Amino acid sequence: MSYKTIFEPFKIKSVEPIYVTTEEQRKEYLKNAFNNPFLLESDQVMIDLLTDSGTSAMSANQWAGMMRGDESYAGARSWKNMHKVIKDLTGYHHILPTHQGRAAERILYTLLGGKGKTFISNTHFDTTRANIEYTGAEAIDIPVPESLHAKLIHPFKGNMDVEKLEEIIKEKGPENIGCVILTVTNNSGGGQPVSMQNAKDINFICKKYDVKFFLDCCRIAENSYFIKHREKEYENKTYKEIAQEMFSLADGAIMSLKKDGLVNMGGFLGIEDEKLSEKCSSLLIITEGFTTYGGLSGRDMEAIAIGLVEIFDADYLLYRIKSTAYLGEHLDKMGIPLMLPIGGHAVYIDSKELYPHIPVDQYPGQALVCELFLKGGIRAVEIGSVMFGKYTDKHKLIPASMELVRLAIPRRVYTQSHLEYVIEVFEKILENKNNVKGMEITFETLFLRHFTAHFKQL
Amino acid sequence: MTKTFIKHSWAEPYKIKMVELLHMTTKEERVPAIKEAGYNTFLLKSKDVYIDLLTDSGTSAMSDEQWAGMMVGDEAYAGSENFYHLEDAIKKYYGYKYIIPTHQGRGAENIISRIMIKPGDVIPGNMYFTTTRLHQELAGGTFADVIIDEAHDPDNLFPFKGNVNLEKLETLINITGADKIPYLSIATAVNMAGGQPISMENLKQLRKLSDKYGIKIIHDMTRVAENAYFIQQKENGYSGKSIAEIVFEICSYTDGATMSAKKDALVNIGGFLAMNDEKIYEEARNLVVVYEGLHTYGGLAGRDMEAMAIGIAESVNDDHIRARIGQVEYLGHKLNDSGIPVVMPIGGHGVFLNAKKFLPHITRSNYPAQTLAAEIYIDSGVRSMERGIVSAGRDKVSGKENAPELELVRLTIPRRVYTQAHMDVIAESIESVFANRENIKGLKMLYEPKYLRFFQARFEKL
Repeated sequence: MSYKTIFEPFKIKSVEPIYVTTEEQRKEYLKNAFNNPFLLESDQVMIDLLTDSGTSAMSANQWAGMMRGDESYAGARSWKNMHKVIKDLTGYHHILPTHQGRAAERILYTLLGGKGKTFISNTHFDTTRANIEYTGAEAIDIPVPESLHAKLIHPFKGNMDVEKLEEIIKEKGPENIGCVILTVTNNSGGGQPVSMQNAKDINFICKKYDVKFFLDCCRIAENSYFIKHREKEYENKTYKEIAQEMFSLADGAIMSLKKDGLVNMGGFLGIEDEKLSEKCSSLLIITEGFTTYGGLSGRDMEAIAIGLVEIFDADYLLYRIKSTAYLGEHLDKMGIPLMLPIGGHAVYIDSKELYPHIPVDQYPGQALVCELFLKGGIRAVEIGSVMFGKYTDKHKLIPASMELVRLAIPRRVYTQSHLEYVIEVFEKILENKNNVKGMEITFETLFLRHFTAHFKQL
Repeated sequence: MTKTFIKHSWAEPYKIKMVELLHMTTKEERVPAIKEAGYNTFLLKSKDVYIDLLTDSGTSAMSDEQWAGMMVGDEAYAGSENFYHLEDAIKKYYGYKYIIPTHQGRGAENIISRIMIKPGDVIPGNMYFTTTRLHQELAGGTFADVIIDEAHDPDNLFPFKGNVNLEKLETLINITGADKIPYLSIATAVNMAGGQPISMENLKQLRKLSDKYGIKIIHDMTRVAENAYFIQQKENGYSGKSIAEIVFEICSYTDGATMSAKKDALVNIGGFLAMNDEKIYEEARNLVVVYEGLHTYGGLAGRDMEAMAIGIAESVNDDHIRARIGQVEYLGHKLNDSGIPVVMPIGGHGVFLNAKKFLPHITRSNYPAQTLAAEIYIDSGVRSMERGIVSAGRDKVSGKENAPELELVRLTIPRRVYTQAHMDVIAESIESVFANRENIKGLKMLYEPKYLRFFQARFEKL
């Protein structure tokens, strides 16, 4: 279609009301949530951009699938349907269903991890890092250097630094590498895509040293869109073919289906190696569920089988990527400092640059997240030192490399006018930027503190 | 053999709103299907099954109210409204102070075991359950069975075969030392004993004893409402009380609970961990993020928390429970009246066939219950489950097969799914297998997984 309008290739079948609130009310809500939007009640939020995970609107076809869900404990039809679609997409021999992505991660990393092991990734996501560190292993991030410059335009800022990869494998010894994890798209690094060439290079190095290579592929359809449009030799391939090729380069994959599976719950672990898969099955049964349901209801498996096909539709992907870019380009034009180019599922704001007067140990990202809620009832998430910061022995903050705030866009949920409202709220954010103050943590937990921490405004 | 007179009708307090078509198979199709499944009913494809009595877990038919609740699922990652509904329902009907949702019951067992059990601890309980004991062992603990002896005798008619032997328990505490016992693991409607209830009197005594030694009680409450029904029917002083009141009272004698909501609470997926101790709650809140999901969704879709909140309220309705157990008793008494050896009294969620008596010519090492489950499938396409030597697994020290007293086949009845006519078909089929029992041969195990072997073990016919 040659029109400028971003055409939504669907119409609305069912709606959910949004409650309009005043700034006064929101002030109160935020106070009760200890300045952590994770602790807000969802009906206090007007536009929820906390995550694109599990928040998609399902299609009428998926809802019909929900009604056909086969809830048999063992050997359900719905598992057969889900298995068939995943097998066709990934080609892996062994597919294990899990209740969500982090369960697949925990199973795999428990078996591959442990003290003395190293995991290498373009960037580990929060739950990934937590799962790995929980086993006593270490997690090293090696994104390409371009990814650390927010403004630099590069088509594949999600790539892994392959030279560093080889260095680390040599330094640690191949036998001490738990595995190499390529996250597509690279979420913590700004939702930036990974090129097929990069995946091929990683495959080559991992083969050379006999190191396991896994994909964390929860947004692989969005990544395929970027490959088709930015990597010359793929322009005539379908999105699904591109995804299939990438799966073929790895030894297995972990997927949270709550993203590009277009469902509200679900995940899987795909593995080539039979022995590893048997060990994973044992752990799966203990903590998740039997191998033909993995802790999912039959109806959820049915919805997954349908969602994983819908996601590769060319019209859908065009709409998806363009509508994210629409929000990003407008904010960029207004002078909001962003991570560029705009990624697939979210717009990332550089809060350090927006609030240069707030030092990193006063969490400028958390300050922006609170400000967005106060001014417009928008819920976003900090991806900076609250999420990834660590402490020295003397309890001094070791900050994350960037102080980002993510506006994640749920799939098929918000319309263009909702996005225009968000843009309007950012005008207010700009007007008020010099009055915004930093934050202090008053309560935190050892792992994944961002979910439950409490904050005080300074 | 006495004819049992059923006093009042157990007609269903609902009508059918939606149906799922059943697939009828022929014997010619079933013989190769069970062979391909390694004579393990777990490995059958559901399309090859006619009436599925494998489990009552996650197989309930939801009500129209629950389906409507599914449509108002709030899928926000944090602070979903459905979580607050669930929290309210649990506080209202069960009375626990703090709750953490989990994707299913074993998620809650994993978390509580990791928090409370230290290596070398002993966890006394009223008979083991497969996943519960495994989580206790993985955390470094050892399970100790303190159920009354009557529970191991399938023919004993004692009404509360789920009770704890208090003397045995106190002796164990004195030998082990109270500091080595992190909690008592007390199940209502004891599954492995045949769905047998625990009495309120026994619970009161347990509370006294555990207070004396400062030990907590963690309640495996997956079938608490069914247990409450037996208290209402059989225990002095409770005939005038509602199921809801009895359930609330049961919970009040315990300090926390793990719940697989896939049973009593009438949902297809979901569970929770509940407790009154704030410190344990805080630790659990931190752990749940690693294993399950953020503490306001615990790995569940918003809609499933909503369905659970509604299901909990429906599960303590007196009419619902009477029809539920009425149906199970109908099948049980019908089989008993035909001379088939079943565990008596009939439990809450299923009828348990005594395979040792059913197939006395098959030795334990040739798995009589596993054999019987396969034979019933071949006869009619009815899928049941082994609960005997295969389920009991191996001793974690000696590596020898645990051989429990009971060698049972469980015919578990899903809630609100099958009709009286289906119960009649099941009875007919078991009667025909019984008539032909002398020609049935045992099984040999070909493949044995390390954990929870009953799920995936494979067999061949002798």
